[in-house]
Amino acid sequence: MANIAEQRIKREFREVVKSDEVAACNIKVELVNDNFTELRGEIGGPPDTAYEGGNFKLEINIPETYPFNPPQVKFVTKIWHPNISSVTGAICLDILKDQWAAAMTLRTVLLSLQALLAAAEPDDPQDAVVAQQYKDNNAIFQRTARHWTTAYAGGPNIDAELEEKVTSMKNMGFDEHKARVALSTKDWDVTRAAEYLIS
Amino acid sequence: MSSDINRQMSHVSEASSMGSDGNSSEDLEEDNDYYMDNTDDLDLDCPSKADDPEYFEYEPLQLIDAEGMLNEEIETLCTRLKVNPSTAKMLLFGHNWSKEEIIENYQRDPLGFLIESHLASRRKHDKLVGPRPTCSVCCRDLSQDSFLSVACGHMFCRECWDMHFQTQIQDGVTTGIECMAKECSILVPEDFVCEILTNPKLRDKYSKFSFNDLIKSHPRLRFCPGIDCSVIVKAKECKAKKVECQACGAIFCFKCGLNYHAPTECAVVKKWLTKCEDDSETANYISAHTKDCPRCHVCIEKNGGCNHMQCPSCKCDFCWMCLGDWNNHGSEYYECSRYKENPNIAHESMHVQAREALKKYLFYYGRWENHAKSLQLEELTTEKIQTRTQKKVMNNEGTWIDWQYLMQAAALLKKCRYTLQYTYPYAYYMEKGSRKELFEYQQSQLESEVENLSWKVERAEIVDRGELENQMDIAEKRRQTLLKDFLEV
Repeated sequence: MANIAEQRIKREFREVVKSDEVAACNIKVELVNDNFTELRGEIGGPPDTAYEGGNFKLEINIPETYPFNPPQVKFVTKIWHPNISSVTGAICLDILKDQWAAAMTLRTVLLSLQALLAAAEPDDPQDAVVAQQYKDNNAIFQRTARHWTTAYAGGPNIDAELEEKVTSMKNMGFDEHKARVALSTKDWDVTRAAEYLIS
Repeated sequence: MSSDINRQMSHVSEASSMGSDGNSSEDLEEDNDYYMDNTDDLDLDCPSKADDPEYFEYEPLQLIDAEGMLNEEIETLCTRLKVNPSTAKMLLFGHNWSKEEIIENYQRDPLGFLIESHLASRRKHDKLVGPRPTCSVCCRDLSQDSFLSVACGHMFCRECWDMHFQTQIQDGVTTGIECMAKECSILVPEDFVCEILTNPKLRDKYSKFSFNDLIKSHPRLRFCPGIDCSVIVKAKECKAKKVECQACGAIFCFKCGLNYHAPTECAVVKKWLTKCEDDSETANYISAHTKDCPRCHVCIEKNGGCNHMQCPSCKCDFCWMCLGDWNNHGSEYYECSRYKENPNIAHESMHVQAREALKKYLFYYGRWENHAKSLQLEELTTEKIQTRTQKKVMNNEGTWIDWQYLMQAAALLKKCRYTLQYTYPYAYYMEKGSRKELFEYQQSQLESEVENLSWKVERAEIVDRGELENQMDIAEKRRQTLLKDFLEV
């Protein structure tokens, strides 16, 4: 069994690394160990989205029964997205669960994830807080997601106002990441975010 | 009184060969009847079909009979449509076993219908290139004859199919196994799976699981949910009605398979149970197991099902639920089962609203939980009655038959309390209005009669038989009335 998995990964590895189309789409896969069970992926944020310019790292685990079971994928880079947990990076995507097909490849998975960044599914959320914001207050959501892209994924857009709020909370003695989460959760209201962290 | 009781008596007399009126063949027939018609042998008035809101026709099947029945249906479809059994099975499974509808759709447009049912495709079959094409799943180059496909024509090697089936079956998927290609939802028919699966253990598992799938998908069949019970119940129609398994005694709703829950609907009771599971810790914490006597404040533990409490020290009568004076619970208006909503709630703050919501939930949950506990305690009462009856018979105080009415009363009490328990989720989710008022009125009536009955059953020795039987009749009538008005199936 493991033999098929290894064979497949080797083959796919060549496919993802070499393909021009893949390079154009800004996706990457690297090996972490020699037995092809742990991989590291990377996808570029799709253009014209809040994730544009960011590079998102992924942790990919290949089960022994691959490709008959889907690979286990999660975000290592922190991201603000309705279908991705802002805490653990766990992803809610059908093809990583029951819609997986043995003929799919890592390339399909990475491209699907990129598509997910471009088109969220707030009705099938992984992170309820983010999904609520996405639906109720989309402008704030977009700004928050862009800010997270800059803060964690190397995005180029600096939102001075939001930065300042994070810094002000940092100066109050809060941990930077915790402050950012609280601010994002509370629609960037400093008082409520502080209350949230204290309670 | 009831013909049922008479029947049972005749059966008993025969069994103990004391029958004075002779063991005629008629008697024997009646006995058979008694065993066959086990749906409701406790009803006081043996209501007719039209009268009894809980009336439901069903029969228990053994695995093999159910299999026979399914095979018959599959075969009929095979001959009518001239398709193979695997396809017929899939069609029936996918279309709720409505044969006529399948036949009509199929005859109108065979290919279109099969495509819609994920059993055929307009796609051109994959062409295998070269003498040793590559399998896109395992990436091996193999000879042409290793490749196989289902209706969609996606070619994969035999070993990959085998592995695919193994993984799917281990995940519990059988009837729903799909092709391995990306975004292809063509279903894999049974004959294809069985031909390829190499592991005989898994093949057994496959047939077992897919049989279960078929039963579960069949609207007129239901597995008995009882533990280790293999009975399959067959009914004429799929309704949320009461089924009592003769083999294991489980009482369940035919439609959803949960514990029987009239007058509450399947979806509502499910919602309620989930809610109770989520909130039970708070509720448990808040509703303690003991209460203080409202007058002398002695601590009282409830040791019977009856809510009519009498303080052992000061002898005051009070209601376990509301701690109010029992006399006010009297005949007319039993206010205790009615939750009084705060009329100004809409203007209150979020915080107060949340508190109010919790209060409302706890009110209904408390009563639901209390009846569930009472039901358990009622079991004890039944046992006590049994021992008492035995003692009496031993002391020559009447025959066993003479005391049977006590068992009848205990059984009826359980039945009424059971229905009463399930009126609380119904009331909880009911919209405010005149219908709810009517419901709560009837509920309170039933509640009060059930408590009267419970009180009398617990003191059966000192209560006159006629009085007790009268109370049984009243309670059952109340129950029937409530179900007739509110059980919507």
